[in-house]
Amino acid sequence: MRDKLLIVEDLWKFIDGKPILRGVAFEINEGETKVILGPSGAGKSTLLRCINLLVMPDKGKIIFDGEDILGKRDIHSVRSKIGFVFQHFNLFSHMTALENVMFGLIKVKKMSKNEAEKKAKGALAAVGITEELWDKYPAQLSGGQQQRVAIARALAMEPKLILFDEPTSALDPELIWEVLNVMERLAKARMTMIVVTHEIGFAMRVADEVMFLDNGVILEKGAPEQVILNPRNERVKRFMDRMKYVYSIGKGNVY
Amino acid sequence: MWQSFASYIPIISSAVPNTLILTFLSFAIATALGIAMAFAEVFATKAVSIVVDWIARVLRGIPLIISIFIVFYGLPKVGVVLPSLYAAILGIAIVDAGYQEQIFRGAIKAVSTKQLEAAYSLGLARAEAFLYIVLPQAFRIALPSWINDFTVVLKDTSIAYAIGVVEVFTQAVHVAQVIMDYVWPLIFVSVIYLAICYPLSLLSNYLHSKLKSMGMLGSGM
Repeated sequence: MRDKLLIVEDLWKFIDGKPILRGVAFEINEGETKVILGPSGAGKSTLLRCINLLVMPDKGKIIFDGEDILGKRDIHSVRSKIGFVFQHFNLFSHMTALENVMFGLIKVKKMSKNEAEKKAKGALAAVGITEELWDKYPAQLSGGQQQRVAIARALAMEPKLILFDEPTSALDPELIWEVLNVMERLAKARMTMIVVTHEIGFAMRVADEVMFLDNGVILEKGAPEQVILNPRNERVKRFMDRMKYVYSIGKGNVY
Repeated sequence: MWQSFASYIPIISSAVPNTLILTFLSFAIATALGIAMAFAEVFATKAVSIVVDWIARVLRGIPLIISIFIVFYGLPKVGVVLPSLYAAILGIAIVDAGYQEQIFRGAIKAVSTKQLEAAYSLGLARAEAFLYIVLPQAFRIALPSWINDFTVVLKDTSIAYAIGVVEVFTQAVHVAQVIMDYVWPLIFVSVIYLAICYPLSLLSNYLHSKLKSMGMLGSGM
């Protein structure tokens, strides 16, 4: 009965008195990929940040891996089991690609340097970062390479869940492919993932379930074909029509 | 009148060690005070931070000569009598601490909070994240400005002349008065300052461009 990895119940978050999340609830099974769609300011990032406790929710419950993590004192050990991939990569500027990946293994997982190096090289190889890039600093890498290093950094920690916060929004179109490709391979390998993105093509291909968040509320959730191609909610329909126009999927009604 | 000046060169150059002592000691004290104030500003409570910021502003606002005079002529009134060398060191250090606070505070704040979030998301505690992510970068970011400030302090030590400290500028003025010519003594003493400052300013520039190529200045990533 461990297959429910994450249960979020009635989650509320206020920032400066304004409700950002208003009673969000969902569940995710082990090995599942969930995609969250929605307009800017809907609360998507805040929701992800609540799950790994970078932001503390004001009300509600988050059960991760069978534990109520909001009541836990040791939030660091919870975070070490949840990977986070940021929109702007957030790599450590003073460390090489390899050192970025080794860092958490040494400081959090207390691995020896040799052990960490072996593990980090494996993670970098898994995201297609080849040997000649291992000793480069983040500023010497392309955006796509930086994001793949960031994914390797999360992956190396062997998390039970990885959260992606608009991982391709800061990338040139050509580089988006290499990052989505890595993510798709992770999904196929049954990594549990929650992905906030505007890439509806990726959602169609990879997501087990799509949730549409607006104004801090989940307006619709279901299979990608249903939510993206045949939404019931009017707001979701309007959003998807425009997205389909931008990404040339199906024939959307253009307003 | 180079000939009449040449024989006095040793008198000026023999004061180089004193100038260096003045510079190194006042700079070191200012660094310690500056870092302490910068940390207090960034990490302490809001009230402490406001007070420290205010202190640093006041220190930066004191003209150097006044600071030195306060230490040399003012402190004896409350029973603290310092020899002129130490009075100059303290007077320079107090003002420079205000400038170094700015250098180190700026450097700590320049390290992107995004990198801190990444460290937290790996499971690091706040103190560890500051130690391994913020500090190494802050020191590197501060280095070019810190070296620059050293050259400023070096030149500022000439103000110790006002309370009779034997340093290169004081000696140059004395020689000038003896040979009744200011040109060569002032050129010579300027060359001494330049000989120390110029390589350091090259080093500072080199470090700055190196940091820039590492993306550690202003990229915000």
